[in-house]
Amino acid sequence: MSNKTSKLDALALPFLIIGGVLIIFAFVFNFTVTPMALGDIEVPEPAMIGGKIVTTTLLLSQKIFFYHMPVAVISMVALAFTAAYGIMFLRTRNTKYDIRAQTATEMSLVFVSMTMVSGVAWTRHDWGAWWVWEPRLITYLILMLMVIAYFILRTAVSDPERRATYSSVFGIIVAVNAPISFMITRLVPSTHPVVFRSDSGLPPLMLIPLLLTILGFSLIAFALFRQRVRARQMEEQVESLKLRLDDLRG
Amino acid sequence: MSKKNDAQQMSATYKKPSTFQHYKILLGKDLRREFRTREMLTSMGIYTVLVLVIFGIALMQAPEKVDILQMAGGLFWAIIVFTSLLGLNRSFSYEKEDGALEGILLVPLDRSVIFLSKLTANLLFLLIVEIIAVPLFYIFFLSGLPMHPTLPWALLPLLVGTIGIAGVGTLLATITINTRGKDVLLALLFVPLIVPLLYACVSATTLAITGSPTLMDAYVPALALAIGYDVIMILVSWVLYDFVVSA
Repeated sequence: MSNKTSKLDALALPFLIIGGVLIIFAFVFNFTVTPMALGDIEVPEPAMIGGKIVTTTLLLSQKIFFYHMPVAVISMVALAFTAAYGIMFLRTRNTKYDIRAQTATEMSLVFVSMTMVSGVAWTRHDWGAWWVWEPRLITYLILMLMVIAYFILRTAVSDPERRATYSSVFGIIVAVNAPISFMITRLVPSTHPVVFRSDSGLPPLMLIPLLLTILGFSLIAFALFRQRVRARQMEEQVESLKLRLDDLRG
Repeated sequence: MSKKNDAQQMSATYKKPSTFQHYKILLGKDLRREFRTREMLTSMGIYTVLVLVIFGIALMQAPEKVDILQMAGGLFWAIIVFTSLLGLNRSFSYEKEDGALEGILLVPLDRSVIFLSKLTANLLFLLIVEIIAVPLFYIFFLSGLPMHPTLPWALLPLLVGTIGIAGVGTLLATITINTRGKDVLLALLFVPLIVPLLYACVSATTLAITGSPTLMDAYVPALALAIGYDVIMILVSWVLYDFVVSA
């Protein structure tokens, strides 16, 4: 229990501001400097839906990709942190890791939701349907359901120690399951062939806003994470102080 | 001197039961209990028939020319998932009564043995229910249709999928016994986790039922991925089980 703000917490606010500025800069850059992708060469990649190739035209909706991909990456990174903090909790039984695991999962939920919203918007625009049972969408849908289930599990267990253990275990399992579902949904042959994406072919003018957005969102995610952890720790402190006060009053 | 040591060792090995004996005793306990009460098997069996009836009614209005062979694999897996949920919920509920699980935990045994014995018990019960479900499904939906010679290959993904369901389900059922609203929670945790396995197994089963010419090209990778899922998820569950059951 320490009252002083740690160095990482001091970085939270500046990181939030820098992240926001970077994303705004990338946004402006994206719509002014970056050229439109030429259909089937880069983004958005063509896909076989219902037997015919969709999307080879110059649609403005391709700009969604510059936000969709960064938030998707960060949601996976956040999930990896959930598992890492879960392992640390199971090894040390220190509550602070449970708080961090929970907060990392919250970050994951925020970014998975953003991925879903941007993805579905793009799907509606370019494939003409709100939903297609296609590997990437299935993977993210079940990922979102698993992250939501994590929080339902937390509310369903009243004993704090037990809650921390169960949610750590479930967090680890989800983090193991996510790459497996990526693999299986892509590698199992289905009626909708998936075109593997090659991001290496992005021209620099597209790479710049993409990387800036990834960096910006990472900074924001980090800042939110630190602030949330700090708020949780303060809550705990208040609770323990209240208990002490009750004891003193008798 | 050496004789004395031998005698000590003998008495020591004689008193401490091996891990395999623990496993046998725990498994035997579950099986004996089930075959005396027949609680899980009856409810799962009847539930299977009920889901078959629901599917029958749901598909009744479908036009004749709908290719049931393309859908049969998916429908069958839906039955397996729902039925296994029912069974997994029951598999631990009686361990909560009269502190039975606490009793097991008092025994100085390797906790993962509990996982393995429960996994085996759940697997056996599911397989028994499937022995009922497969012929019933065939009679209700597939009889009278020309069958492909590749149909028996559908049993292999069924086995692989059931092993995975029993493995992941055993861990999650142990988690949910100590939670509020455990029946619903098990479904919430279990179904998303099982989706990759379901995806691979439905693909392999459908390929076997439809008997498409490129069967082996697609069937083998689907089955291999399902086996990979089983191996990884059961290993992870096994490692994590100690923490869950002692919490």
